Amino acid sequence: MNSLSQITSCLILGSTDPHPNVTPSVLFGLGWLYLILFAMNVVWTWRSFHKARHFRLPEFMGGMDIPNAALWSIYSIALLLVSVTHLTCASVPEALRWFVMPDFAKAAVDSVVADARIYFAVTTGAFIAMLALRDWLAKPNVGWGILNLSLLFLCVSLTDWDFRQIVGKPDNVPIVAMLFIVGYFTWLYFYRANQNDRRAAEGKVPAEAENNEKVLTWPDLVYTEMICMIAITALLILWGIALQAPLEEPASAVKTPNPSKAPWYFLGLQEMLVYYDPWLAGVVFPSVIIGGMMAIPYIDFNKLGNGYYTFNERKFAITTFMFGFLPLWVGMIILGTFLRGPNWNIFGIYEFWDVHKLEALNNVNLSEYFWLYGLGQPLPIAPADSSFVVKSGYILLREAPGFIAIGAYLGAMPMVLAMSVFKTFFLRMGFLRYMVFSNLVLMMAALPIKMVLRWAVNLKYFIAIPEWFFNV
Amino acid sequence: MSPKPKAAPAAKPGSTSDILAAIRAQGAKGGASGAPPETATAKPAATPKAAPAAKPGSTSDILAAIRAGKGGAAAPTASAESPAVKSDVGPAAAKASGGVKPSVEEMLKAVRGDTASAAVAIAAPVVPVKPTLPPIPVKPVAAKDKKSAGTDRRSFVAACLSPMAIGFGSMAATSLIWLLDLARFMFPNVLVEPPTKFKIGPPSDYPLGGVSTKWLAARGVWIVHTDQYKGRNLIYALASVCTHLGCTPNWLEGEQKYKCPCHGSGFYINGVNFEGPAPRPLERVGIKLASDGQLEVDKSVKFQEEMGQWEDSNSFVEGTLA
Repeated sequence: MNSLSQITSCLILGSTDPHPNVTPSVLFGLGWLYLILFAMNVVWTWRSFHKARHFRLPEFMGGMDIPNAALWSIYSIALLLVSVTHLTCASVPEALRWFVMPDFAKAAVDSVVADARIYFAVTTGAFIAMLALRDWLAKPNVGWGILNLSLLFLCVSLTDWDFRQIVGKPDNVPIVAMLFIVGYFTWLYFYRANQNDRRAAEGKVPAEAENNEKVLTWPDLVYTEMICMIAITALLILWGIALQAPLEEPASAVKTPNPSKAPWYFLGLQEMLVYYDPWLAGVVFPSVIIGGMMAIPYIDFNKLGNGYYTFNERKFAITTFMFGFLPLWVGMIILGTFLRGPNWNIFGIYEFWDVHKLEALNNVNLSEYFWLYGLGQPLPIAPADSSFVVKSGYILLREAPGFIAIGAYLGAMPMVLAMSVFKTFFLRMGFLRYMVFSNLVLMMAALPIKMVLRWAVNLKYFIAIPEWFFNV
Repeated sequence: MSPKPKAAPAAKPGSTSDILAAIRAQGAKGGASGAPPETATAKPAATPKAAPAAKPGSTSDILAAIRAGKGGAAAPTASAESPAVKSDVGPAAAKASGGVKPSVEEMLKAVRGDTASAAVAIAAPVVPVKPTLPPIPVKPVAAKDKKSAGTDRRSFVAACLSPMAIGFGSMAATSLIWLLDLARFMFPNVLVEPPTKFKIGPPSDYPLGGVSTKWLAARGVWIVHTDQYKGRNLIYALASVCTHLGCTPNWLEGEQKYKCPCHGSGFYINGVNFEGPAPRPLERVGIKLASDGQLEVDKSVKFQEEMGQWEDSNSFVEGTLA
């Protein structure tokens, strides 16, 4: 939305709000969006009609069979009516107040997403629910329903000024698209995997092995690649024309944009930097991620799931990967893109980006928790003119709780796990492979553990030795 | 031996010698122009295939044509026992003669014709002779111990002068020179930067409890006058570089804190870190009262709180001067 249309909308609505939630141009645009949604659902209704599936109403509602297509057609017609209403009544916002996100709903959503603890709990819970309900979620009609719900949520949310600023920023539009793409491919994975898992239960070979029709590189593959190339080129040209590159003022060493965000694909790393020291979050962890991925073929002893989709045959591997990818990596990208605002504070999606938003973030190191709060005595500090060795001794004594905690986590924890949950893994892998594996898993888990500790008890560093640039 | 199973391998002329033999056989057939009547009867069936000029459909067609020609004349090329078996003329001839299958003898007679002896004469050299294997080489005796021969030193010198050693040695030398050149860039002859020492006016310009952002844009320092650090009334200059990853924090007057936009680190007015990931306080730079009564900032020196350097008298000026 440009400033001209804002001014026009102010004139038409007779308001002087510089950040209007609802303007005629917004409503008119939403009309088109609903129309697209309608067209999509017409296609789905047509598909549903040809599939000729039914569902049965509960007994108290008559208990009769209703074709799926009937429901989708009713929904499509409703969308058409909403669309026409938006397109014709765009200049009378009062008429469309039922299609505007209500304030109490905004407050409810904001209170969830703007609190990192709840946000993380919700994403992790959604992840677990996704795994538990995969049979149901992977049904085409359910998938289509979720897509529709998320698009409707987007449509209704676009009536909020602050939401439009975040989602409509040229930088962020592709990230919104990415969310839908990630959702689709995750759904596709479960759809295929469920199919194969069912086949395996029936004693059949995977679908990929049965319909193993080999095709030729030329022309089958090369043609596909060429068509993809042309389509992507066209998309990039359209994108370049429609969304202007967000150019900013000339760079300056003494002026940092507020907020200052990494490229979207590095927002996970930037989020990691909030919780860990730069050398850890910027150097060690990325190297461990890359090295750990390279180590997977040597760690993995499960020979199943090779060349076909499956969940049941590779439960641990897929759950671990998906947890690292969806709630941690993609979740952090969402957090960094849509929720991090000025001064790197967390804002709700409908919240104004107030530079002066105050968040109490008094962080405390583990050593301070131990000495000051636990033992009630000051941190051990070396006498002023002591030698380097004595000073080092005092520093190590001060940070001893952190060293013990980290040592126990990476050294003793694998043993405990080997005797409990990872028993079979330990037996199958042998000592060395198991230690590599368990340390990789524990390092991955270290990120959410630190995040939760930061949010819950303001824990800053386990080991804090600024004298040596060593903080964990 | 029935002709059928052997005819199948004949359809694929495996080796060059097969093809050559076929072509040669065709030549032989051409030479035997006086075709016997038996061959002539076989011809009509083979004609569609044997007319390369008319319809050279595919390689297999051409090969079949060649073979058909061969069938007339060169059948004996392969072996004397079953000369006709490499030809598909036999069955074809049988079809041409009204569907009655001729006996093997008849077919042999048909394809052999009168030219058999001539063809044998040509094709004879093709018959392979099994080569005798060369004797297995004797395992060589291990080389004599060089040490006993007293060549130790000479071989070391020789190794140093080997092309490989010279190549890698010169590469290492070049890399070393390149690295030294690179290191030289760290010490430029001329620095196009504002001088590290600059005057910022008298202490009275900086009242107690204030953070001056006057020198932020040009010089990257805040001038702070506060009594929030250990209760002492001091004026000092803080470098505007976040100790986390080097972004420039903003001074928020209302909140009385420096807040970094990159990862949310926060510092008190005195520069001590208290929120976000920054592990240590902001760094002070040198400051002193010059002889003309103005404060002079020296950015070439740094004072880190965690190293106890804030006690250094070059890192602050007494605030009572203001």
